[in-house]
Amino acid sequence: MGKILAVHSYKGGTGKTLLALNLSASFAKQGKKVCLFDLDFRAPSLATLLKVGKAEHWLNDYLNGACEIDKVLIDLSERINNKGHLYVGLANPATEAIRDMSAKDRKWEMRALGRLLALRNSLLNDKTFDYIIFDTSPGLQYSSINAIVAADVVVVATTFDRSDVDGTQRMLRELYELFEKKTEVVLNKVLDASRTGKEELQARVKDIYQAPLLSVIPCFCDVLKAEGGIIFAAEKPDHPFTRILDEMTNKINQM
Amino acid sequence: MANQELVGKKPLQVLEKIRENLEKLNDKMEVMIELQKHNRKDIPQLPTDTPLDVMTLLSMPDHLRKTAMAVCRLGRATADEIAQQTHRARAVESAYLNQLVIMGYTKKQRKGRKAYFYVERESQE
Repeated sequence: MGKILAVHSYKGGTGKTLLALNLSASFAKQGKKVCLFDLDFRAPSLATLLKVGKAEHWLNDYLNGACEIDKVLIDLSERINNKGHLYVGLANPATEAIRDMSAKDRKWEMRALGRLLALRNSLLNDKTFDYIIFDTSPGLQYSSINAIVAADVVVVATTFDRSDVDGTQRMLRELYELFEKKTEVVLNKVLDASRTGKEELQARVKDIYQAPLLSVIPCFCDVLKAEGGIIFAAEKPDHPFTRILDEMTNKINQM
Repeated sequence: MANQELVGKKPLQVLEKIRENLEKLNDKMEVMIELQKHNRKDIPQLPTDTPLDVMTLLSMPDHLRKTAMAVCRLGRATADEIAQQTHRARAVESAYLNQLVIMGYTKKQRKGRKAYFYVERESQE
């Protein structure tokens, strides 16, 4: 039985989308069947990063009840040089679609939760996907909380930025814990990671968050320079960022 | 005399009817016990189509949230099936499910001997 992961954070700019995309590629590289969904309906970015022009059906359509999930999936397996399968479901980046998604009422959000929960049956059970990965909006957005409720594991991307630390601590206590979710913290964009030492960082994160640490990712200039144009896990197999991602996916496989 | 004839002709149907009525009474008693336990005022009775969305889930007391989330996950389930998910006793889940029905978050439907609890989603579209 596969797993649903939600990649979430308190603040924007913590590297959620790159993390979700590269985790998906790393799983696919291992031969897994993966589906990555863009649930950041307020600022969709996967369509641009993956250079997918116009999709026939968006994830918005599935959540609106206008189509089945298989119409939304786009097969990007050829971008992974392996036997794995990578599919994506994209959020519509058109301004009108963003406006429409921002104006949904509570009943719509309740039905959207039902449709996200239904993916466990339709994709994990029926279509034998190994992983569904939700890339979410930061903070307490409806779509993000829906994703968290539907997920088995929440991967929390955080930095050492003070306001991010405070907010992440609150979310761990007042959001993930209330929904009894398994959470794994990823400390991203760490400056001087090699000088500080892995053990010291791990101890610091444990002390601050009282939650398991999945990984520490140093701030890689190459990743920033690529401006989201490279899927490191697929295209740069020997890059240290890729090695960290592979360690993370191995850990998640064992959960 | 008429009742005796009925009993003589269709004893099984009559017994079935009695059982159904007993189950209905049992349901009503469970609800009354819940209301009494929480002093009535603590259980707000909401309009019947109150959406069970994530913000509502977040604002619920922990014991009810666990039950409500299990209903959300299963879609439609008996108290037994919910108890298997939450690892709590069936009677406890039955009480919490009935409380959620009173609050307007879930619906209850009897089918034969079983009572199913569900969140009404699609009919509200």
